[in-house]
Amino acid sequence: MKSATRDAHGAVAPRDWESDAAWRERLARDARRADVNQTPAQRRVTEVLLARAHDLDAEAFALTGSTARSQRTAISDLDYHVIGPRPSRAGLADEVDIVATDAGRFWEKLRSGDDYVQWTLRFGCVLFDRTGVFREGMRVLSTERLWPDTARKHARLSSHRRQAQRLIDLGDRDAAQEQVRAALTSAARAVLLDVGVFPLSRTELPAQLDAIGRMRLALALRAVIDEVLSLPELAAQVEALDAVEQATIAISRSLPSRA
Amino acid sequence: MSPKSKRELARQHLETARADLDGERYGDALNAMFHAAEAAVVWLADRHGIETRRLHWVKAEAAERLHAAGMTGEDHGDLLRDLNQGRKDYWYNGEEPDPDELREHLAAVETLVLDAEVLR
Repeated sequence: MKSATRDAHGAVAPRDWESDAAWRERLARDARRADVNQTPAQRRVTEVLLARAHDLDAEAFALTGSTARSQRTAISDLDYHVIGPRPSRAGLADEVDIVATDAGRFWEKLRSGDDYVQWTLRFGCVLFDRTGVFREGMRVLSTERLWPDTARKHARLSSHRRQAQRLIDLGDRDAAQEQVRAALTSAARAVLLDVGVFPLSRTELPAQLDAIGRMRLALALRAVIDEVLSLPELAAQVEALDAVEQATIAISRSLPSRA
Repeated sequence: MSPKSKRELARQHLETARADLDGERYGDALNAMFHAAEAAVVWLADRHGIETRRLHWVKAEAAERLHAAGMTGEDHGDLLRDLNQGRKDYWYNGEEPDPDELREHLAAVETLVLDAEVLR
């Protein structure tokens, strides 16, 4: 794990965990941001999930992803990070993605370099923090200058690619586009983190990639986000993973042998 | 070559899922089950004039509507939602699926695919 590198987007949030007043201000700011970034229908979904999370005695709840960043597209999910049981999605008319873990798993993930947990702390809209787990997470993130570990992302790239290729070969265009998008997104996050840039939401990744000179990957990701591609076009975009996979091999060769 | 029908894709994804499950490739099996279930729902929904668009939650709602209209023996809405959440947990958050749960899901997906195969 390497030290935090602050990027142009302010990778590490202000030290808003330090005092009760500063934390209250963060919560108020996040609530306002969530309010502004959601449509009335999305707000209703969030309110229902918040109420269900409270009923389940969840410790903390955050709105994350493109909605938190005000970068939604037509295919964006409504993403949430819950510390506690996963609230039911029953009766909610939207694409809802809820990551739910207990506090123990939250700490394990934070310490092991999981990028999503750090994303929530850095950019998420914290809508409640009953036990202070997010505030304490912010303190640890900030004081220990944690940075995500990309080893697992690199290790998983070949599986992503195999799945994408399988769906292309099978001829399921809809499924293939989604899998290629997932593979390229994961590769983009790994590449950015490797050079000390914290990845923002998916639609912001191509610009971040352009800024570090990874134009081929940026172009491919932009295409699978914005366009409906044919199977041959999807196969061509998968090739953008070549350079990332070569870097993965180089990284694994540079690591000390386990033997 | 003309594109495969969703009905045909549903069967192929199902057989892939079965092989992945037997081979203990649980993440791959989960993915294939999800695609099989969605393809079956889209095939059925298209034949009954039910909207599915490109959104997963709309397809889950379509599965509920198909059942309400008597087109499927069971309501598969929650199956689609669970598979969708499960594959996201696997691909994005590294959460391994539970093999026993996957076996239950496979049986449910097969029922759905068989429902789709009744309609030509």
